[in-house]
Order: sequence, then structure tokens, then C-alpha cells
Amino acid sequence: MTQETVKVNKTKALKPVKKRKSASLDKKKARGGWLFVLPFVIGFVLLYIPMIYDSLLFSFNQIEIVPRQGYTLKPLGWGAYSAALFENTQFVPTLLKGLQGLAFDIPMILIFSLFMAVLLNQKMVGRAAFRAILFVPVILSTGILGGAQFTMTQTDAMGGAIDDGSGTSASEEIVSAIDLQKFFEGMVVGQELVEYVTVAINNIFSIVNRSGVQILIFLAGLQSISPAIYESVQIDGATAWETFWKITFPMITPMILVNAVYTIIDAFTMETNVVMSYINNTKSSIIDASGLAMSWMYFLLVIVIIAAVAGIFSTFVFYQKRN
Amino acid sequence: MNAQNIENKPKVRKETKNKIKVDFERSPLKDRLKAKFLSFFFLKKVVWYIFRLVLLVGISYIVLFPYITWIAGSFMGPDDFVDVTVRLIPKDFSLDMYKEIWAQNNYMQAFTNTLIISGMSALIQTFICCFVAYGLAKFKFKGNAIVMLAVVFSLVVPHRTIELSIFMNFRYFDILGIFQFLNGGGINLFGFTINNSFLQAIDIIPDTMKNFSTGGVNLLDSYWPMIILSVTGLAFKNGLYIFMLRQFFKGVPDELEESAYIDGSGIMHTFFTIILPLSIPMMVTVFLFAFSWQWTDQFYTGLFFTNTKTILMDDIVKVPTTLKIDYAGTALYEDAIVKAGGLMIIMPLVVMYLFCQKFLVQGIERSGLTAD
Repeated sequence: MTQETVKVNKTKALKPVKKRKSASLDKKKARGGWLFVLPFVIGFVLLYIPMIYDSLLFSFNQIEIVPRQGYTLKPLGWGAYSAALFENTQFVPTLLKGLQGLAFDIPMILIFSLFMAVLLNQKMVGRAAFRAILFVPVILSTGILGGAQFTMTQTDAMGGAIDDGSGTSASEEIVSAIDLQKFFEGMVVGQELVEYVTVAINNIFSIVNRSGVQILIFLAGLQSISPAIYESVQIDGATAWETFWKITFPMITPMILVNAVYTIIDAFTMETNVVMSYINNTKSSIIDASGLAMSWMYFLLVIVIIAAVAGIFSTFVFYQKRN
Repeated sequence: MNAQNIENKPKVRKETKNKIKVDFERSPLKDRLKAKFLSFFFLKKVVWYIFRLVLLVGISYIVLFPYITWIAGSFMGPDDFVDVTVRLIPKDFSLDMYKEIWAQNNYMQAFTNTLIISGMSALIQTFICCFVAYGLAKFKFKGNAIVMLAVVFSLVVPHRTIELSIFMNFRYFDILGIFQFLNGGGINLFGFTINNSFLQAIDIIPDTMKNFSTGGVNLLDSYWPMIILSVTGLAFKNGLYIFMLRQFFKGVPDELEESAYIDGSGIMHTFFTIILPLSIPMMVTVFLFAFSWQWTDQFYTGLFFTNTKTILMDDIVKVPTTLKIDYAGTALYEDAIVKAGGLMIIMPLVVMYLFCQKFLVQGIERSGLTAD
């Protein structure tokens, strides 16, 4: 017996079995996580960050392309930026106009898409068909078809597209502010609100076309609200109006935040946007530093706006605690 | 008491093994109908129903009307555009526009080229986004939040802003200066050059390639830029796809994977055999988005295909020379031709949309997007 134990001890002393610590499940999972996100991380670090860096670099430099060799950079410093801000008389007003448009569009698109999502979420005859039709713009009105050649004005959409060639076309607007004012005369409604509604109705075509993805996101949000909540509220005797404001609206607030941010990004990167088209039209070529400087300034401004909107909205967002 | 009970008992008219027919005492039919249809509740329901229907039909009309006018205009002959009486139904019916665009603007070639680009990049993007989104949704690792922030950042910065550097990066493609490095130059990292005299001395690159790789490789006019952007999940709106898929995967119960792990399935095996089959509706949705947005895209193809050899979809939107006539309705006629070209672009998309529409709604319903 003793001999044996000695023997065992000896072998142990001679050959210490290095017990490889097997990775814990958490560690294994962490490794798996990195494996999954690897393609994006590689691309982001090796391709995207250099691209952003280059783009910023190009906005501070004049590029000269040397045939067969690449390009050289001639430093300009803040030249392009100060030129756009202080020498260019059009850039700042265009920027302000663009922001004004943004401030008008975003609430309109959000309200419209929420309304449509609530409608399309109800059970009715032909719901699938209406959904299919309303998602058509998501698929079709981007890229080439969102370009100037295919963009419809209100008149086109309302039946003036095939003109008789006589030169007279239908009036530009569906409703005039004067008619609407008469309608609202009795109510205590401000001039601004009347105008807002008029412009919104006249722009209904572009609003419908731009709220496809937002309707999708809202619909997904509405689907995720548990029917049990609605049932219990119904039993307690709530009306549809109360149900909307006390249940649906709070539960959908996270979606409103997502959609607000998405709409800002979408409106800002749209080709037909005032500022985007101004920048595209004024820069002399693709390698013009002033165009880059302008788009970077515009982008930074929009980042600030997104941060502000997200900050304000997130104070109102209601999260249902699931866990 | 007892007698009353018997009297109120429903009268049994017919009784068989499985069925029993009973006569209840009910209020007369007239009263019942009155109570049902002449109430305020019913009226409200009818008004709401009509209002909703009118609204939805109206909005559907707004969405579809442009396409209807395009279709109507595309079948018209030149005479119809100066005829005051013609609005939507052509008098001078002709298929010239389609024929000429098909033949002269090389529709088939544009179709094949665009199909290759969109199909390839949409497939790659769907899988890569699934991968990244699954990693972000189901694994807790250090840096998860940072990677998610990077995804949002890549969505927020529009590619228009960094257009020039995308172009330059693929024109002189040289990640970390590897080609330059092999060529004996230094590694260029954010403007700092690390010299290597060693490789310069041994000179491993053959002379023929040397000339070619000065300043990187030109990847323009090939499919490589699209493939590289897709594989790294940096192509058009990929951040949105990753976000959508991440929300979807978050909704998949963890127990599914846990039971698979216990049964001895590896992480990859679990992903491919259990998670992917579950998420087919969502993947179809993402594929549909990626495909159709790439199909109508002008920005990337315009940037990466600088020569005119590769005919793509946006090249067919022009007036064929044989259809050029000079008359009073030229502007309208040519506008209608351009729109017929647009119709020919979206035709394949519409067919695909009709097939995938069910998946789209299903996928969206299941995604349960939440903002947390």
C-alpha cells in the first residue's frame, strides 16, 4: 500500500499533469459572440474608419490626382469651412431652410405613419391588400425612382400627369388656405395651424411615399403589445379613445423614438433634400473640398439634432419591464 | 315554485344521439333586429367602417395613381399626347416604347448585370447581417455595446458625405497599405509611415505587378467594391437590417439554444440548424429590402462603374433615338418614354414583391421591434 502511494506521488512529481482549464460557458459564448460580429468589426476598423478619416482629411486638403501614382494633398487648413460659412452667401440660408423643412416633415410623417399603422392593425376586410399597397413605396420609391425624373408633383399625382398639351393645367393645390380658413373661422384656431394643415394636405403625396418604413416599424410595435392588456382595459370599461391614449400610445413610445431618429436620417440623406441638392449642385467636381466641408458641417448639425431629439424623446419613452 | 320551473324549462323539440333542438322563449325577431341595428353603438361602427374604408382607398389611390398614369402613358402613341380628349385610355395604342427600350437600350443586358449585382449583394448582406445581429442579440461579451454603437454610427453617416473617400478607397484599394508594404514601401497608418527597409531589400513582388500596384489596386468597374461592402456589412442601410434582425433574435427564447447546447450542439451548428430556419420570414424581409434598394440604386453603381461598358438598369432610362420626333407634344412624349423605362425597371420588383409580400408582413409582425 505505502509503496503504491509513493509510486503515485512520484509519478505526480515527475510529470505534473497540467490540467488545462476548460473555458467556462460564458467565456465560450463571449468568444462565439466575437466570431459572429467579426465581419462587421473587421470592415468597420479596416475600411470604415479609414474612410471617415480620409473624408475628413480630404475636406481640409485640395486633392490633385497624379496619373498612375495616386493622389497628392495640398493642405488648405480650415479654408473650405470658413469659405462655406462666411464667404458663401447661400449656404447658411439653405441650411436653415433645410432644417425648417425637417422640422415640418418629421412630426407630419410620424403622426401620419402612426395613424396608418393603427388603422392597418385593425381587423377588417381587405387588410392584406391595403397593407401590400401601402408598402409599395418602401420598395419602389428609392434610388432612380426617387430621383428628379420620376418625382411626382401634387398635380401629377392628382391626375394632371397626362396633360392635354394646351398649357393649362389643374391648379397646383388641392385646398387653398383661404377655403380652409373659412372652414376654421368659427373655431379658435391660429393662422399657423391652418397653414400647417394646408401645406400638409398639399404634400400628402410625398408624406405617404416617405412613411413606408415608419408604418412597418409602428405595425411591428403594435403587434408586440399584449392583447391581454387590451382585454383587461375593455373589461374595466375604457373607451377606444382612452385605450389609445392610456395603452397604445405609451406602449408605442419606444417606436416613436426609433422612427423619429430614422425619419431624421432619411430626410437628411434624401437626394431631393434642399441642402443635399445644393451641395451636389455647387461643388465643381467630386474632389472639391468645399462640397465635402459643407456636407460634414451639415452632418454634424444633424448629429446634434438627432442627439437633441433622442434626448428629449427618451424622457417620455415608457419601457415595459419584461424581466 | 316547482311548477314554474317546469314551465320555464326549454321545450325540447327533437332529441337525437348527438344533437338536441330546443325552443327558447325569446323576444320577437323584430325587437331583436331593432336592438341590434338601431343602436348608437352600431351606428358608430358603421360610420367608422365607412370612414376607414374611404380613407384607406383614398390613400391607396394616392400611392398607386402615378403608376397607373405611367402605365397608361406607356401604351400611347405620339398622337395621343396632343389630343385633348385623351387622358388615361389611349386612342392610338402602340407598344413602340417597350419595343424600342427593349431593343435599343439593351434591356436584357442591363437586367442581367443588375440582377447579378443586386442578387449577389442582397444574399451576402442578408447572411452577414443575420450573423452580426445574432452575435449582438444573444451573446454578452465585452464590447457588445460598442459594436452596436458602431452599427448605429454606420447607419447615421450617409454614404453621400463620404462619397469621395469611398471612391478613392476602391480606386486605390490598399487596406493598411499591404500592397505598398509588399512592394517595399512603408505601412501607412493614419498618416504615419512605418518604413520597412527589409522588404525593400529582398524585393518580393515581381516587376510586372509593381507597376500595377503603385498606390493600391483599382477595384472600380468590377463587382468587388459591392462584394467588399456587403461582406463587411457596410453597404446601403445595412445598419437598419442589423438593427431589425437584432430585435427579432432578441425575441427568440434563450431556452431553444440552451437545450441545443445541452444536447451537445455547437454554437455554429445551433445557429445554422435552429435559429436560421426560424427566422426565414425576417430574412426574406431583409432580402427584399436589400434587393430592391440595390436594384433601383444609382449612387453606388454610378460611383463604382465609371466606364460605360457595363450597362445597368439606370442606363435604360433614356429616350431611344428612333423615337425622337419633333412636334408639339415632344416634351410630354419623351417624359412618357422615360416613365415607361421606369416601369420596365420596377416590373421585376413588382413580381418579386407579390411573391414575398406575405413574408414581409409576417416578418415585420414577428420582429417585435423595440428600442431598448
